[in-house]
Amino acid sequence: MPIWFELIVLLLATYAVGFGIGWAIWGREHKGAD
Amino acid sequence: MQELAQAYWPYFIIALLIGIAVAWWCFVALRRTRVVTENNDVLDEGAAPAARNQALIDAPPASFLAAEPEDVAAPAPPAGSYADDMTRIKGVGPKLVTLLKDLGITSFAQIAAWDDAEIDRIDSKLGRFEGRIRRDDWVTQAQLLASGDTGAYEDRFGKV
Repeated sequence: MPIWFELIVLLLATYAVGFGIGWAIWGREHKGAD
Repeated sequence: MQELAQAYWPYFIIALLIGIAVAWWCFVALRRTRVVTENNDVLDEGAAPAARNQALIDAPPASFLAAEPEDVAAPAPPAGSYADDMTRIKGVGPKLVTLLKDLGITSFAQIAAWDDAEIDRIDSKLGRFEGRIRRDDWVTQAQLLASGDTGAYEDRFGKV
């Protein structure tokens, strides 16, 4: 696998993790106890 | 992969922050503005508007303040007559009943007493129903219905 491809995949994964963190903070309507 | 992470860690931090920023934009910035309406009670503005509203509620219906009938020549219903079901006259439907009522005609006896001049007078006020009186011979129908002669009525005009 080319190195740039791997880099892009990792960056996208990191972006998705960041989006997930943002969703957990602001996106959930019912923020009750899990 | 580890080498990549170590070599490009600033970019990963940036990607993480971009993800968080996009999530914020999606879930916070794009949310519709909540309109907060204040439920203004009329009494908040003082008692005057409430008092005015109450006066309007207590006022007698406008029909009591109706002006004089515009056509003074219109015959008043004969003493002792009561409203008949005008739709029994063939050719008279609910709209015509309302129209006739507005003209002060509510009984068969009234129509039965019409002469040609009166027919013309009323006919001119019927609008799109003009010509119906003679076409459907309301006068004869009314005379038979007023007298209660259903046999003669049915012979001439069909089932009551």
